[in-house]
Amino acid sequence: MTTLLETRGLKKHFGGAHVINGIDFRIDAGEIRCVIGPNGAGKSTFFKLITGEHRPSEGSVMFLGQDMSHVLPHERIRMGMSIKFQIPGVFPDLNVRQHLTLSLHRAKDDRPESLDELLQRFMLENEEHVLARNLSHGKKQWLEIAMAVSLRPKLLFLDEPVAGMSVEETHATGELIKRLSAAGLTMMVVEHDMTFVKQIASRVTVLHGGSLLADGPLEDILARDDVAEVYLGKKK
Amino acid sequence: MATLPNVYSLVYQFGDNFAYLVLAALGLAVIFGMMGVINLAHGEFIMCGAYVTIIAAKRGVPLPLAMLLGAIAAALAGVIVERLVIRHLYDRLFDSVVATWAISLIVQQTMLLVAGPSIEGIGTPFGSFSLGDYSFSTYRAVLPLIALAILFGLYLLFFKTNYGVCARATIQNANIAQCLGLRTDRLYTLTFALGAGLAGLTGALYAPTMTAVPTMGSNFIVQAFVSVVVGGANVIAGTTPAAGVLAIIQTGLTASYGQLFGQIGLLVTVIVVIRLMPQGLGNLFTRLR
Amino acid sequence: MKQTKMPSMSACPRALQTVPWLIALCLPLVVDANTSGNLAYCLLWAFSAVGLAAMWGYGGILSFGQTAFFGLSGYSYGIFTLNYNDTWFESWLGLGAGLAVSVAVATLIGYMIFYGRIKGVFIGIVTLSVTLVLETFMSQTAGPQWAIGEARLNGYNGMGGMSPLTIPWPGGPLTLENASFYYLVLILLIAVYAVMRKLLDGPFGLTLIAIRENPQRAEMLGVDIRRHQLLVFVLGCTLGGVSGALYTIWGAYITPSTMGLTAAAMPVIWVATSGRKSIGGTILGTALLVWLSQNLAVYGSQYALILLGAILLIVVLAAPEGLLPFVTRQLKRLSSRTSDGTRHGGACLKREEGKS
Repeated sequence: MTTLLETRGLKKHFGGAHVINGIDFRIDAGEIRCVIGPNGAGKSTFFKLITGEHRPSEGSVMFLGQDMSHVLPHERIRMGMSIKFQIPGVFPDLNVRQHLTLSLHRAKDDRPESLDELLQRFMLENEEHVLARNLSHGKKQWLEIAMAVSLRPKLLFLDEPVAGMSVEETHATGELIKRLSAAGLTMMVVEHDMTFVKQIASRVTVLHGGSLLADGPLEDILARDDVAEVYLGKKK
Repeated sequence: MATLPNVYSLVYQFGDNFAYLVLAALGLAVIFGMMGVINLAHGEFIMCGAYVTIIAAKRGVPLPLAMLLGAIAAALAGVIVERLVIRHLYDRLFDSVVATWAISLIVQQTMLLVAGPSIEGIGTPFGSFSLGDYSFSTYRAVLPLIALAILFGLYLLFFKTNYGVCARATIQNANIAQCLGLRTDRLYTLTFALGAGLAGLTGALYAPTMTAVPTMGSNFIVQAFVSVVVGGANVIAGTTPAAGVLAIIQTGLTASYGQLFGQIGLLVTVIVVIRLMPQGLGNLFTRLR
Repeated sequence: MKQTKMPSMSACPRALQTVPWLIALCLPLVVDANTSGNLAYCLLWAFSAVGLAAMWGYGGILSFGQTAFFGLSGYSYGIFTLNYNDTWFESWLGLGAGLAVSVAVATLIGYMIFYGRIKGVFIGIVTLSVTLVLETFMSQTAGPQWAIGEARLNGYNGMGGMSPLTIPWPGGPLTLENASFYYLVLILLIAVYAVMRKLLDGPFGLTLIAIRENPQRAEMLGVDIRRHQLLVFVLGCTLGGVSGALYTIWGAYITPSTMGLTAAAMPVIWVATSGRKSIGGTILGTALLVWLSQNLAVYGSQYALILLGAILLIVVLAAPEGLLPFVTRQLKRLSSRTSDGTRHGGACLKREEGKS
């Protein structure tokens, strides 16, 4: 089993605030890893440390065995990471077709997926010529995921992909992610929505107070008392 | 061996350059610092102050009063500009640069048409004094002190008056300020008028020392935005030290290589500072505190 | 739902787009030599405007430095040809020298700006500072000690007397002036237009737009933002240099006032008015505005400048996407009654659409 991503003793503090306190973390190929935790647990910071937006105060982030401390954002993408941030990041003045043309152009693949295939896979066939600024929130997220996926990454990072979505959209996104995984894509998803996590996760990591509380297959995590107490706030 | 006249000559030069930089920059700094607007018509407010001062003085108005009139005229012009043009562009700050450039062009060329290439100026008051082989203009020797007095007045305005508190609150968070009942639109108009008035005051102060031409604003613009860029958005903690540093650079270069290199030295400093310290010196100071 | 179309998907057939070019090609046949020369003058500024449109309209980079490169290139041509003017070949080398200097300086400044992470308005300030440094420097060069070889820089008196472009011709070298110079400018313009359209309609242009709209997102697509910005900057500034060299050739004269504050405002005015997102529109708009200024200048240059300033102000306030696109949109709205956004019914304005 190839390890795609690994963090060793990862720590981050901002001035006096210790946000991440030594996390050892690993993602192997083929997983859908969900990272959950209550507010303030450090999920966002952890995500930013991995994607390179923050530099670690201590410890390291290794991607495919390489230390990522000095790798610039656009270089990380070239190495096989693909990132979708929480806030929809689209290009307001371009339409859906142009977005995908752009990302397919960046993919530099020998056998690029056809644009129409992409539109179908991500349920955007009816919005091909719509400007991104006029898309609904859910479709914007799908467009972003579509762009991220069209780069043929080795590891896809999704930060709260269903934030702000309706129940139907959330479920459709979950099915989409499962299809992507079945096609061989490894993913790390930071999420709040437990229904969604239950729908997609293969393994779950629980963060609490900047440390790793629990890490394991979905069923194991759901059965643990300490997770239930910390996260769901109830005693079993 | 440095003799007193030589030393004083350097001090005088420094004071002269410092005053010029500070006074040129004040109006621009206030508007940029408070509102984020880069007012490329700044030079024209200076010109307005100068012209009104000269015209008033020639009509017999005592000089200090004429200067006050000049500043007020510029402030009024500022109100008009803000209401008609600037207020539509607060969400498009990029465009405000272009718009003020357009205003500058229009005003300059209109003045050229209406008032001709130059008008007869007024003489520099207070004569001169000498030290050793050098002779210095009393008026220009006093200007740095006037500049410092104005700075002090601004400090009082921003930190000790109601306006100052409201203005600073609005800069830091306009939305919340509005929710607290502050009339931010009136505040912006007042602030822009203040900036314009300060520019007019600069023009008024320098009117007795230079020929009044419609394009005189351009002479100040370079010094103004050099000081603002190097000093950052903070008017008191940024622009003033910046003017000090720049005055040293300019005086040094001019003494060694002449006026031209003094000027170029300033512009090169801008480029270097933007590259190294995008937030300007002011940011450095506030972070050190 | 408002939809915009990419320039290449114009409703007008390709054939119609070539009409203005054909008209331009035929003009010297119907006007006298002097007018041809004047038409060439109107056209030569278009390169600088196209460069700014590419940088600003696509890349979101508002540079106030076009006139700096205008001057650099013009002076380079002058210095080169005043020193070497024995053969026809050397005048063309002079043109090359002007371009080479533009490319070199643009790369240097661009590297400092984009790899130094200077953004937004500060790019304008830095480029304006560069322009002013150059103008200040050149204006002080009136003394005889300021000379490079045979070429005296001459400060505000300007540098003049450089040789025009000549080409070998049966019967002796032919000096390119009036009609022949007009054709040179026009052919260059067509070439530049074709290249820019190809470049900006393709992935490069799309990437630039992406960088402009959402730099972080563009980075997440693996785009090296700084490299793309540097490329479009060098391209845009060099086009400014093309205008400068052609101007110097046209009038056999160049002065520092071509790099002053007022001159620096001109490209911004032309591009903002014509609509910075359309290369063809920019060419047309610039030529028209220059022609307008020339005619107004007869009454006094102040009137021309006041009008241009007023136009710019109105454009910024009321039609920020540009006057030509604004007018086009209004006319389309008037003539088209359908709400179906994919059809472009109604009158098709040849000039506007054709150039877009």
